[in-house]
Amino acid sequence: MRLCLYYVVGFTCALSAGVYAQAGVQQAQSITGAELKGLAPVSDEILKVELPKAEEADLDNGLHLMVLEDRRVPIVSVQVILIGAGGYYDPPDHAGLAGFTASLLREGTATRSSVEIAEALETLASRVNVSTDMSLQAATMRLSSLVEYLDQTIALAADVLLRPSFPEEELALFKTREQAGLIEQRTRPRFLAVERLAKVIYGDHPAGRTSPTPETLDRTTRDDLIAFHREHYVPDHAVIAIAGDISMADALPAVERHFGAWASSGTRPPTVDDPEPIGPSRLYLINREASVQTNLVVGTQAINRTSDDYDILSVMNQIVGGGPSSRLFLNLREDKGYTYGAYSSFTAQRYRGDWDASTEVRTEVTGDALAELLRELVRIHDEPVPEQEFQDAKRSIVASFALSLESPNALLNNFVVRHLYDLPDDYWDRYPERIMSVTREQVQEVAAKYLDAGRLHIVAVGDGEQISGMLTSFGAVDVYDDQGTLIETVGGDQ
Amino acid sequence: MLTHTRCKWLAAFTAAAIFSMAAEVVTGQAVEFSDTTLENGLRVVIAEDHVAPVLSIAVNYDVGSRNERRGRTGFAHLFEHMMFEGSENVGDGEHMLLIFNNGGDLNGTTDKDRTVYYERMPSNQLDLGLFLEADRMASLDITLENLNNQRQAVQEERRLRVDNQPYGHTFETIDELAYENFAYAHSTIGSMTDLNAATVTDVASFFRTYYAPNNAVLAIVGDVDTESVLKKVHQYFGQIPRQPDPPAVDLTEPRQTGERRTSYDDPLARLARIDIAYHIPESLPADHDAMSVLSTVLTSGRSSRLYQAIVRDTQLGVDLSSSAGNNRGPGLLWLGVIAAPGADLVALEAAIYEQIERIKTAPIEAWELDKARNGARRSFVSSLGSSLQRAIVLSRYALFYDDPNLINSRAESIASVSAEDLRRVARTYLTETNRSVVLTLPALAGGQSGEDPGQGGF
Repeated sequence: MRLCLYYVVGFTCALSAGVYAQAGVQQAQSITGAELKGLAPVSDEILKVELPKAEEADLDNGLHLMVLEDRRVPIVSVQVILIGAGGYYDPPDHAGLAGFTASLLREGTATRSSVEIAEALETLASRVNVSTDMSLQAATMRLSSLVEYLDQTIALAADVLLRPSFPEEELALFKTREQAGLIEQRTRPRFLAVERLAKVIYGDHPAGRTSPTPETLDRTTRDDLIAFHREHYVPDHAVIAIAGDISMADALPAVERHFGAWASSGTRPPTVDDPEPIGPSRLYLINREASVQTNLVVGTQAINRTSDDYDILSVMNQIVGGGPSSRLFLNLREDKGYTYGAYSSFTAQRYRGDWDASTEVRTEVTGDALAELLRELVRIHDEPVPEQEFQDAKRSIVASFALSLESPNALLNNFVVRHLYDLPDDYWDRYPERIMSVTREQVQEVAAKYLDAGRLHIVAVGDGEQISGMLTSFGAVDVYDDQGTLIETVGGDQ
Repeated sequence: MLTHTRCKWLAAFTAAAIFSMAAEVVTGQAVEFSDTTLENGLRVVIAEDHVAPVLSIAVNYDVGSRNERRGRTGFAHLFEHMMFEGSENVGDGEHMLLIFNNGGDLNGTTDKDRTVYYERMPSNQLDLGLFLEADRMASLDITLENLNNQRQAVQEERRLRVDNQPYGHTFETIDELAYENFAYAHSTIGSMTDLNAATVTDVASFFRTYYAPNNAVLAIVGDVDTESVLKKVHQYFGQIPRQPDPPAVDLTEPRQTGERRTSYDDPLARLARIDIAYHIPESLPADHDAMSVLSTVLTSGRSSRLYQAIVRDTQLGVDLSSSAGNNRGPGLLWLGVIAAPGADLVALEAAIYEQIERIKTAPIEAWELDKARNGARRSFVSSLGSSLQRAIVLSRYALFYDDPNLINSRAESIASVSAEDLRRVARTYLTETNRSVVLTLPALAGGQSGEDPGQGGF
């Protein structure tokens, strides 16, 4: 396969002749955090993409197969996406069971021990991992291999996926390692911030949880794992996505050989619910003693993957905090020197996801940095985005989309998203065009809709003694310890 | 300064392009490239790859934290930040905006031995990439305001990666303990005091000394035509004047004659850890290849000896890693193990040494060597999928070893390591008198009670 890509002349500055626009086409101007001289030679052509198509096939047991042939590198990557086996479907009283099941698949099968599996895979330099997250509908097996070891690797992977034995002694070892991990993760400020933010954005929704508890881990039995595997690891709604040095003609028989006998369960596609609407704005402080920085995260609920606002939110996010050329980075780092980085991002799945902005700042500027961050979130809906900045943001998205396709896995992931969310066949072909057609008014409307100050939740992880006074000037603050326990509420009207 | 309207590319290059024909014994594939040096000493390596309209540029400068003087630790990296703050024809931050706004990405990175700047971009932006790199090699806009701003960004980077993370200081402590020579003993991120001491005069002098065409390698990989790239490179870089060669750094490390040991009370950690470093040769010689394989055998994946012994059998540890490093000068084989809650650290350390002694006496199994060989081959072919990875690696081999073709032969060198080589290097280097041991012990802030740190006999 050769990626079929070509250049078209840009939307903002159409040049009918000549490949390169000469120096000076941009206006020399300055924005917060940067000075533009406009002397560098920039080509105004925008890289446009004509996507190669993944080949697709359906097996009798319901498995959907997608293959993107790419002969550049003699490696094949395979994802088995098991919709319904993700942490979203943990039993309500057993947080983490889906994750435990995924992790323990590799620890033994009917015919192979944990050590034999590890030795066999690592000798071939092949990778097989199964993982999920508590907010995800799917557990995903990711395998990759040098092409000459692919058949052996798929055979091992199928054994692990379909015939796990969940040995008692491996479960005991897993619990020991995992309990240590639960202790260790509480030392990471980023974990503490994400844990609190998920709770306040999603409430009792499954995505409100980020981690199992020592108690749910401890009481997990072999029978729990066997039952979860039997019920949730079914082919009916699963997708196998393959990218690399292989054709559909070779992939289909291999998949049929190893996964064809996997019996269909006849179950209906698993469903999801949106979280309850987000509550009014509030501040949360997680007291992490000995911190020398404050991790600040400002978040809220945003959109589903199929929302009409998806492309507009993508443009808005690029302007606010999508990268180092975005406002948060330029303002908080390049202009103010508060931080090493400041970014924003959003997640969008079947259920309503979150948007958040985060930065890590030295303790003494916590209040100033938060004020500046919030000012940017007001500015994006109060003021029209200047025309040049707006065009740059859209151009950045479209051109980096084309560039990302250097990786066959990135390309295939796009097709997987299209399949999983029932998007139109030409969804990615038309993506650049849709991004370019977003207007400044739409960006302001979407910003007003999602980033209204009344629905923003603010999490700060740091040295409570030093920063709680800075935070109370923004409102009442719920103070937690690093174990997630509410200690007190300070400041504001509480 | 650079004059973009007049093409100077007709001037002769000092060296003809040499195309590499690599051995394909192990990899079955080879990276072909041209290797040219301009009159001003700039070495230019170009590899064509037309599979996607993408282009990567790497500029690798022969300067790292090893070139720093006492009182200025962290300066090479702080300087790297200054390279994004503007030059004669490029405004403060404009480089970054131009690359990202045109769909590319970029970064700079500094280690002990080198500073590399890179961008990946649509291949129609070749002129932009070359212009930006050339302009900041030719001229740098050095102001106190920019220096103060980036000093703050770097100090936050230090807090983010080191001061505010559990085990953040452990890595600095290992180098300080293991190395006597200042060049490698101090950290690349530097101390807060030294970062505060840096002046604009330091920046100007560092720029003049190290940021010269004869002290750099430029690599370009992607959807380009070699001949036309060379013309453009000459146009953009050809007039940047050569500078006197920078002073050489003495990296000589005195032979260690006894075990060194220290412990660090970490207020941010909850689990203890043990880190052990042994002096080993610089990268590239056969003994270093053997050490890389040894590192794989000891700690890579769940089939590794330490994972089996420490995480599964004795359950004294919960996580581990190791590295044979990539230093141009004297290296370290480093092993790090996070202790299980409450584990006896004396027993844990003894269990690590037991596995090292086993390497010296008991046979290495064939599958363990296959694992290292397949791993090396896989990592080579994986790197072929990324134009950026290739540009960085080619420039590094040209800069460090005067041999970009090492990109094609490294996997083969790893494959030639034998079981006997492993025993030999283990016996030679993994000895008690050649090791430095750092214990990181949880020290809870504010006197909270927590997990038993399991201090054992220490």
